[in-house]
Amino acid sequence: MFPIRRRNFIAGGAALLTLGAGKRAKGQPAPSMSSHEKELYEAAKKEGGELTWYTAQSDDITAQALGRSFEQVYPGIKVNVLRTTAQVAYQRVTQEIKASAIQCDVLSTTDIGHCVALKANGSLEKYVPENSSKVLDIYKNYDPDGTYFVTSAGMIGIGYNTGKVKEADAPKNWTDLLDPKWKDNIALGHPAFSGYVGTWAVTLRNQYGWDFFEKLAKNNPRIGRSINDTVTMLNAGESAIAGSGPVGTLMESVQKGNPLAMIYPTDGTVLIIAPSGIMKGCKHLNAARLYMEFLMSPGASQIWVDHFNETIRPEVSAPKGVKSAKDLKTIRPTVDQIVKGIPEVIKQWRDTFGV
Amino acid sequence: MTDNSLDARAVHFAGVVSRLRRLDASMLLWLALIAVLVFLILNPVLRLIISSLQETGTGHLTLGNYRSAYGSLRHLEALGHSLELGAGVALLATCFGVPIAWAISRTDMPCKAFVRLMVFAAFVTPPYLGAIGWILLAGPNSGWLNKVWMALTGASHGIFNIYSMTGLILVVAVTSFPYTFVFTSSALDLVSSEMEDAANILGARTMRTMLRITLPLVTPAIIGGIIISFLEAIALFGAPALIALPARFNVVSTQLWQFFEYPVRVEEAAAYAMPLLAITVLMFWIQRRIVGRRGYTSVTGKGGERRMIALGPWRWAMLAYALLVGALSVFLPMLVLLQAAFAKAWGRGFSLDNLTLHNFYYLLFEQTQAKQTIINTFLYAAITAFAAISLTLAIAYVVNRKLVPFSNVLAFLCMAPFVVPGIVLAIGFYAAYASPPLALYGTATILILGFTTRFLPIAYTSSAAGLRSINPEMEEAVRVLGGSRLLAIRKVLIPLLKKSLAGAWILVFIPATRELSSAIFLVGPNTRVISVMLYDLSEEGNFEVLAALGVILLVVTVMIAAIGSKVIGRDFMLRRNS
Repeated sequence: MFPIRRRNFIAGGAALLTLGAGKRAKGQPAPSMSSHEKELYEAAKKEGGELTWYTAQSDDITAQALGRSFEQVYPGIKVNVLRTTAQVAYQRVTQEIKASAIQCDVLSTTDIGHCVALKANGSLEKYVPENSSKVLDIYKNYDPDGTYFVTSAGMIGIGYNTGKVKEADAPKNWTDLLDPKWKDNIALGHPAFSGYVGTWAVTLRNQYGWDFFEKLAKNNPRIGRSINDTVTMLNAGESAIAGSGPVGTLMESVQKGNPLAMIYPTDGTVLIIAPSGIMKGCKHLNAARLYMEFLMSPGASQIWVDHFNETIRPEVSAPKGVKSAKDLKTIRPTVDQIVKGIPEVIKQWRDTFGV
Repeated sequence: MTDNSLDARAVHFAGVVSRLRRLDASMLLWLALIAVLVFLILNPVLRLIISSLQETGTGHLTLGNYRSAYGSLRHLEALGHSLELGAGVALLATCFGVPIAWAISRTDMPCKAFVRLMVFAAFVTPPYLGAIGWILLAGPNSGWLNKVWMALTGASHGIFNIYSMTGLILVVAVTSFPYTFVFTSSALDLVSSEMEDAANILGARTMRTMLRITLPLVTPAIIGGIIISFLEAIALFGAPALIALPARFNVVSTQLWQFFEYPVRVEEAAAYAMPLLAITVLMFWIQRRIVGRRGYTSVTGKGGERRMIALGPWRWAMLAYALLVGALSVFLPMLVLLQAAFAKAWGRGFSLDNLTLHNFYYLLFEQTQAKQTIINTFLYAAITAFAAISLTLAIAYVVNRKLVPFSNVLAFLCMAPFVVPGIVLAIGFYAAYASPPLALYGTATILILGFTTRFLPIAYTSSAAGLRSINPEMEEAVRVLGGSRLLAIRKVLIPLLKKSLAGAWILVFIPATRELSSAIFLVGPNTRVISVMLYDLSEEGNFEVLAALGVILLVVTVMIAAIGSKVIGRDFMLRRNS
């Protein structure tokens, strides 16, 4: 009745890759599990066999694929995947902290400032995953105290609908977005929701000053919430240009047959480094630790790559036909600039765009 | 002498005993009811008012929250936008609801059953789902209506822009006009034709009679409808969140949401919510003033003879108008929602190769949360309906039989949540019960309690109406024969009330399945309901999956309502039962 889907293969394939094994009986742990993993797995099963994961690091489809893959690798542990934008996830977490009722076990945000702030008020649990020493060097050691770790990375460029814009006419760099010919035709996310958009806004403010956004506002962009909404707007033909175009979501959409294309701006593609951490006082600590191991495993990176995002593991190669961060000129702010900058750009954004 | 004083003491003692006996089990139950109402209504609202006056962290008395909540021009603008939205919706909903109610109740317009069904469909459609439908219809470049317009005229731009105040007013009005309709038509059903006849005899034509006689007679009902749709509109969260943000303006509810961004400022949110509360109270006061000033004695509840006015050819015009409203509120949005729910990509349009069941498959088999969310929604709504009906039935009983002094206070408390917008109520609940000692955050309990409070007025109105129709003599027979009050209630009252209670249950159940504004601050990851999941999914603008989830919500709700209507044997919402 239902077609067999590519992502079913991906999830299953990823599980097989991680395991390096064929069929196995349900409920049996993977043979390739390290003794540390096995320990966590057993303990996780004892504490109730589930965990709650708030994630902003991907679209819902990728997030669900990651959750299901974990359930396949570690049978008997259920993952509740809650995909929202970063600021909404953070809002819920802070509401939980205020009510002293922690519901979230692992938080994966795209605004590294969240991890810095949570760590500062003692809301993150220290746990150094074994896998954290095995990721690519640029993703190592963001927190020397071991409360949060980079678990994914992605890029933002400019997307366009090939049915509406010819390749020759498409913008080449960020300042091309200010051309009046794009009036009423640009889609953007919102920094008060999306951590990607927040970081993107901080990066472009670094490059061109807030003036850039004042001018962008004259082109009357359509403002949504999540950065992924810009891809939906391109697909629907509502907008011609995704001013903040998430590479992963957009390329996956291209692969499904939508008439979209990606531009990697000559003045630099924005690279986002997205961290995860365990909430202190969470209900499923061992499952959460195991999930941190999983997020930094080659299996998880393979799923990210299958959904056209960056890999954080050297063993996993970049997706075919898509440019990877190492082949491109990338730009990104420092952690300090993000921590200070995102609350500032949210305020400036509201003044400039009215919402 | 000693004997005498003993006697006196004995008499006194007997008095105490008899007074204690009057505090029998049922009496204690009634006291418990008051405690429940205080817990559900008074405490959260008082907590909200108090915390609006408290300094964050220290709890010192301050007006600082009001200063920071109203110190910003943007915040004031949001309040202005809310009032504009409320007024626009009230006006438009009246234009939609009143003529249809008049046509059905007083004229010979054809296809009445179908039009009623259409109003019912509009009633069960949640505003945020209507909003998604209208985004697909009137997105400035991609909406179906605009595409059709561009194809017909060759224009390069569409003419409709849903991302505007007008768009938002339309979206909210098409889902709230059933209130105006129900209020007006139930009043019209009670107006006898005598006065209209008098006007006709004196030479007035149909139009003049309607405008000068019929409608003025049901003014209180129309004002009631206007007030309800106004209040619904200013308290709404979902539809504004979907439409106002791209349209670049905020309303009070979306601004309130911002106070829950980091750092969470419950106190400032409470202060900002106060005008909403004040406006609501004011509206009800105005209604009382207007209604109280004149005599509307023709609405006696008895009703004389009613004859349908023959409209001649105009009855087709009336039907066309009703169908136009139906197209705006039900047919068009449902058509595009269904298309999106079964489409690979909705933008590709209506073609066979675009058809898929994958959106449903994704929700039911691939999404880790959807199944649980769907179950939660209907489970919580069902429990809420049971809780609200049991509670209000008990209270209506106490009030109706005057079992305790000041029983009207109970009735007043039951109706009080009516004036508390859902989002404000949720903030009150969060402030009062989320933290220890009760620590209800993230539990199903806090959601069900919140929903129960929110729908208490609907439940109370229905329970009280049901009870009024039953003569107390039947219970008194049980009491005379030595049965307790509880036995009388169980064996006599409940069986007699079964049908009207089932109707009331559905009336609470339907809005509870779609409640968003009070759920948004109270849900945890394991207690999510469809409305919140739709809101979360809408961030990414994934309309195909959103539409599929909406279709599931509607289909199940309508199924349950249909079964319910079958049980009670009548159309529970659209016809008056007294």
